[in-house]
Amino acid sequence: MRLYTAIALVALAASVARAQSWGGRPWNDLTPQEQERAWQNYRRYRQLPQEQQKGLERRYERFRAMPPEEQQRLRDTYQRYRGLPREERREFTEKYRRWRERPRGN
Amino acid sequence: MRCGSAQKLIVAAVDGEITPERRRDLDEHVAACTDCLAELRATESLLGALESLPQEAEVPSLVEAATLRRMRVAAAEEQERKERRWGWFPAPVLAAAGVAVLALTINLRPEGRQGTPQPAMTPEATGVRQVARAPEPPAPPPAPRQEVAVATADDALPPADPPPDLAAAPELFMNLPIIRNMEKLEHFEAITMVELPPNG
Repeated sequence: MRLYTAIALVALAASVARAQSWGGRPWNDLTPQEQERAWQNYRRYRQLPQEQQKGLERRYERFRAMPPEEQQRLRDTYQRYRGLPREERREFTEKYRRWRERPRGN
Repeated sequence: MRCGSAQKLIVAAVDGEITPERRRDLDEHVAACTDCLAELRATESLLGALESLPQEAEVPSLVEAATLRRMRVAAAEEQERKERRWGWFPAPVLAAAGVAVLALTINLRPEGRQGTPQPAMTPEATGVRQVARAPEPPAPPPAPRQEVAVATADDALPPADPPPDLAAAPELFMNLPIIRNMEKLEHFEAITMVELPPNG
């Protein structure tokens, strides 16, 4: 009997872990503010062409595969990036473009 | 370049993530294709709007304030409309109509008289009541105010039952601006610090 209970608990824990790794926290676990933010972003996302939606989904897959501390680092960095004045943000994007084009391997 | 390839490049192009050659190809294409140009402009504006969204809980209070403000304005407009509608009636006429309606309502209303047939339930009496009711100012909550509230909620507030794709991966949408700028953010420090040769 105990063995069956233990197996059931392990299976339950595994399914919860799998669900969390698939989509993160479930909708009902988000705060109203988080739901609001997700909803607004979702509405914009739905206006993008399907190909572009897929591109964002692919990036999300990569984001999800990152360790939590790396995800948090990106969130913090995003706050810094967003805090930049519009002109500096534009300059940064331009610098980023050149950085991507720079010759590699030296 | 064909439209299909251009469409695939647009988000990356807006984020500055394609090579100059590809960008040139895309620019040449959109210069000749109004659909793709419109797509590019729309994406720029959409993704710009995405980025301008606050990450923290500023939106709900703003939305709440805006909603309340709109509702107050709508209520005031409705009140004004009501006053305008009845304002031209001389006050004594309105008062007399009010008294007549009140008297008829008290005498003829069927509530509290269930089970016993009353004159108020006869077709004649009902007809009198309908005629007498005509000048009564509309009492129920005004429709326009309701519409404003619903439209605002539809626009800004998440539905009670989120769409399946939103419910399946809410964190994708919560973190969408980060995901969109992911590569930029991953190398933020390096890009900030690096000295790059000048353009050209």
